[in-house]
Amino acid sequence: MSRLGFHEKMLWAQFAGVLAVVGFYMHYLAHSAPGHHYLHAVLIVLLFLFASVRMFVRWRSKSVIEDERDRAVASIGTRWSNNILWLGLVIILVMYWDLGNMRSAGFLIGILFHLLLVAALARIIRELVAYRMSA
Amino acid sequence: MSAGISNTIRELRGTRSMTQQELADRILVTRQTVNAIEGDKYSPSLEVAFRIAHVFGVPLEQVFHYEAPRNRRK
Repeated sequence: MSRLGFHEKMLWAQFAGVLAVVGFYMHYLAHSAPGHHYLHAVLIVLLFLFASVRMFVRWRSKSVIEDERDRAVASIGTRWSNNILWLGLVIILVMYWDLGNMRSAGFLIGILFHLLLVAALARIIRELVAYRMSA
Repeated sequence: MSAGISNTIRELRGTRSMTQQELADRILVTRQTVNAIEGDKYSPSLEVAFRIAHVFGVPLEQVFHYEAPRNRRK
């Protein structure tokens, strides 16, 4: 009998996925020349793939239950990621007011990308901690 | 997650030779949640608490016990 529930296993898979993305991103930063790149497109494809796999696994295992503890843990994680996204929004607005512009669309997309990555990581880690604390 | 709430689910399960999975299936939660409730690491909702009591056929207060904090300020 597995010690981890379906949602916790999925969180570990997400964690591994995000770490892979971070690793890919570091490699990209170290080895790519300036200019337009395919990184964001790759990330969107990865996200789409992961969502598809998750839906497929969930469809295959019909006995998967999302109970009140799963929902409680998810709400804790969502609160953390929401806080980070709000903080990011405030930072973007302050930068806009401070500088008068956002320099470029690429710069803004870069900020949003990092913000989403940090928010996703915070949500996943916080949910994993919550699962372990009430395991 | 639980504050001053303990329970006797493990004992009640033991007397009925019921596994965590069997109880989980009957109260519509995961086995991991039953394990967390048994270990006093998660306090279930009132609805799940009543379902547990119903499965064992005992009153709620025989399953869950609440101990109020002693040094609460007024």
